[in-house]
Formats: sequence, C-alpha cells, structure tokens
Amino acid sequence: MPNIAVFIEQRDGEAKKVAWQMINHARKITDASGGEVWGVFLGKDAGDNAAAAGSWGAHKLFTAIDENLAGYNSELYTTAVASFCNAHNPDLVLMGATAMGKDLAPRLAARMDCACVSDSIDVNFDNGFTVRRPVFAGKCFTDVTVKSSTAVVGIRPNSFNLGEPGSDTATAETFDPGIGEVTPKATVAEVKATSGGAIELTEADVIVSGGRGIKEADNYKMIEELAGVLNAGTGASRAIVDAGWVDHSFQVGQTGKTVSPNLYIACGISGAIQHLAGMSSSKCIVAINKDSNAPIFKAATYGIVADLFEVVPALKEAIQSLD
Amino acid sequence: MKIAVCVKQVPDSETRINLAEPSAELDRSGFTRVLNPYDAYAVEEAIQIKEKLGDDTEVTAIIIGGEQVMESVKKDCLAVGCDKAIRITDDFDNAEALQIAKVLTAVVKRDGYDLVLCGKQAIDDDDSQVGIMLAELCDMAHVSVVTDLEFDGGNFTATREIEGGSEVVKGATPALFTCQKGLNEPRLPSLPNIMKAGMKPVELLTCADLGIEVPAAHTEITTYIPPAERGECKIIENEDPAAAAQELAKLLREEAKII
Repeated sequence: MPNIAVFIEQRDGEAKKVAWQMINHARKITDASGGEVWGVFLGKDAGDNAAAAGSWGAHKLFTAIDENLAGYNSELYTTAVASFCNAHNPDLVLMGATAMGKDLAPRLAARMDCACVSDSIDVNFDNGFTVRRPVFAGKCFTDVTVKSSTAVVGIRPNSFNLGEPGSDTATAETFDPGIGEVTPKATVAEVKATSGGAIELTEADVIVSGGRGIKEADNYKMIEELAGVLNAGTGASRAIVDAGWVDHSFQVGQTGKTVSPNLYIACGISGAIQHLAGMSSSKCIVAINKDSNAPIFKAATYGIVADLFEVVPALKEAIQSLD
Repeated sequence: MKIAVCVKQVPDSETRINLAEPSAELDRSGFTRVLNPYDAYAVEEAIQIKEKLGDDTEVTAIIIGGEQVMESVKKDCLAVGCDKAIRITDDFDNAEALQIAKVLTAVVKRDGYDLVLCGKQAIDDDDSQVGIMLAELCDMAHVSVVTDLEFDGGNFTATREIEGGSEVVKGATPALFTCQKGLNEPRLPSLPNIMKAGMKPVELLTCADLGIEVPAAHTEITTYIPPAERGECKIIENEDPAAAAQELAKLLREEAKII
C-alpha cells in the first residue's frame, strides 16, 4: 500500500503541468495497489491547487504557506520537503525533472539518505518501485529498483499522458516546513527571462532544429519562422552551437538537451550519434537534408531529400494553409 | 584558497552501445574513455580562478577509479593547470551517485576546501546528482548548471540556466558549483605540460584511509534495455520541393495526426 507524494512545482504561483501528469500516473498505481496520492505544495498562497490536484487524482494536498517559500531556494525547499517526509513518511516522492526538480531532488535525497533516481520516464509498483530511465542520453535505458524505504524520483515532463480531469477535490491539509531556524547560505537574487519567450525544449510538443546545412547564422531565422507557425521550440545541432551561431541552451544531443517531443523536424542536420541520442525518442521525426545517405534518415519517420532552403519555407506555407 | 575539482572518466560521446536485447549487464569493454565534457568546464573555471587570485591558490583534482583514469587526470587536469590530484582506488564501477558523494565528502571534509567545482552531469549515467549531494553532505551552499560565476572576496554571484531564462544566485564560500557548457572555453594542454604533468603529486586513497565504510547502495540497476526500433523512413519522392512540403504537411496532419 504505497503512499506517493508528488511535489507540485510552482513559479509565480502557477503549477507546472508535469505535477498533474505525475499525480495522474501515481493515482493509477494506488488504484491498483492501495495507498494514497499526496500533493505537496510550497508557496506564499495555496491558490486553487487543492481542486486542481484533486481533479487529477490526488487524495490530499499538503501545503506549507510561507513568504520565504514564494520562490525557489534549494536549502529552504529541501528542508520543507524533508519536514513533510519526516512527518508523513511517503514511500515515494516524485518531482519533475525540471531545472528546479533536478536541483532539489539530490539535495533532498542526500539529506534523507535514500534512493535518488533522475530524469526518469516511467515508474511502476510491484512490491517495490521500479523506475525506467534513459542513460547515455538515450542510447540505452535502464530499469532501476529502489531498496531504501523511501525514494526521490525525478520524472521528465510529458512522460505520462494527462487524461481528462475528474471532479474530485483533494482534502486540504497543512504542514510545518520547519524553515524558521534556517538561514540559507545562498539565495536567488534575480530571475531573468530569455528575450522572445522561447519555448523550453524539454517541455515542447514540437521542435524545429537546424544544423550545419543552414550555412550561416543569419539563416537560423528560417528555422524560427517554421517553428513560429507550429508553436514549436527551436533546437540546434552541436556544430552550429560550437560555431557560435546560436546559444548553447538550444543544443539538442548528448552534451545538450535530451528531448522527446511529439514532432521533431531536423533541417540540415546529418545526424551525428550525439545528436541522435538526444532526440531519437521523439514520437515522429522529420528529416530534411540534401544528402540521402545522412544518418538522420535512419532515425526519421518522414524524409525529404532536397535543399532545405527550398523545402523549409515551402513547409511553413504548407502548414499555414492547412485549416 | 583551496579549490577541489571533482572529475570522472566516461565513454566519449561517439560511443555506440551494443545491446540487442534487454540484459542484466552492459558490455563496456571497447569504450574509448575521456574526461567527462562538463568536468572540463569545472577544471577550466578552477584554473581561471587560480590565475586571478595568484599562486597561494591550490587546485586539486579528485577522481574515483582504477589506474586507467590517470590518463584523463594527467592530460586534462594536471597538464592544464591543476596542482595535484587525489585518486580514490576502491572499486566504485556502477556505483550510484550518493555512494560517490559520500566518499567525496570524506575527502572534502578532511582537506577543507573553500570551493568545489563539478560538471553539471556525467554523460554516461546522466544523473546530475553527485555535486549537489556533496554540497548537502558538506553543509555547503551550491548552485547547479552554472553558466557564469563571479567572486568578490568570499562572496559569489552565479548565474544558472532554468527553463526559458536564468536565475542569479548570491551567497558566500564555502560553496559548490556544477558547471554547464558556456561557462568558459576549456584550454588544451601543451605537449611540454603533458610531459611535466607526470611530475605533479597524485595521492592514492581508499575508504579505509579516509576512515569510512564503503557506502552501501540504495538502488540497483536490474536491466539495460535498447531503445525501441524505429520503422523504415518514408521518403517523400517529389522533384518539386513545394509539392513535397505540401505532401509532408498532409502526412503530418492525416497520417501521423500530430499537427
């Protein structure tokens, strides 16, 4: 009868979708095996998260409301979630494999001296938890079993489908985050947004990426324009990041981001193994490349062997003219 | 100032994983091993800090592994400017992050470093855990995924990458940072410096020397699984790029049902 706690990440009071995906999945486990799903929310205001958490399947929503928990601080958040775990002993703590979750999970697991599994794509329960996760940026996957009495597991956004919400509300409870005596050794002084409000690659449903085939930095705007009509994030191969044409935060691959959107459109990317590792779990892959022997076509669902300078603008128009 | 850089040797990013079916073991024989690319940013940052602060700053590279890791330590740490190295010789192949962090904690506590630098993740296990766990166990501040780092005396300002932007984090040393691409451009070692690197001191340690038990694991990898096979690529054969683009748009809408 596992009780599963789900950390509900919020920025500026708005909960991340990955929290609801995890709650939805956790509820499937507890419906089969018994136990409860508990949302855990830290912030300065609980908002309507009890209703939201309940609608996705949480039995209870535990909140700690404190001005000092309004924004992320690794030490305060670690103390708060550890206080929750000490008071309620969940068998599993799930959090999104996001910038915040990846920063919080290891600190929390080290404090609780328990298992920590990062960047996972599935969790199942059969007299113990088994977690599936990619290694080598997706060249291979592992199944990991947990041997400690609790575990902190990071879940990659969009690993679980979100069905339709129900009408249940979670029972609202509060807990003491235990941060009164904690003076953080480091604090977030400022949060800066990237100009243009770029869509985060690890959360994007559609990604359009450019590689060396775009020939020069200025031509990356062709990638951005196609992305614009698809409401997509833009990505890049290592080659054009190393050439300084785009920032590293756009790099897809083993020394960049691992992504798994529904649709990945690779324009002028040959498909080096480091790149393929980072995107080959995308559901549908489109390759546009002049070279019919490019390895990207081995990973692709659809391919066009032609000059991207002709195909990419035409594809933008073709998509715009779909109704 | 005493700076530690925690590094790891990993299979290089060209490595192909040969795994035909799910298996309890992964054949790692044939892998070409290199310094973890993110650790190179940590090494470079440590050397740049030493260059700014002067010669009473000492940079120590710490690694866990067998004799084969020394090639990366010599070429990519000592030859580019680290002053010395510590190698933990116990067998921690396939160990989990928390075990590694506990061993490193014993070294950091013994030597009392002001600053610890790590890569943001190792490109084999992709855990992104060891550095942050080490900071917690040493009761230090940490900032992860750092793309900019400035010091003003014992105070730091670090910029870290988050979704759609960045966070600016301020604090005081002792502190630990995990380094992201973009922080700096790692230098290459010169041949004479590679030769001289062999003269720099390397301390060999075991858990017993550090006065700790070999930490136990909380997790176990039971199975390695190859990625799902992808079907054949459907090549859209059309001489006219505009017509090919229209056909593709139609397939994405009607067959794949994703736009």
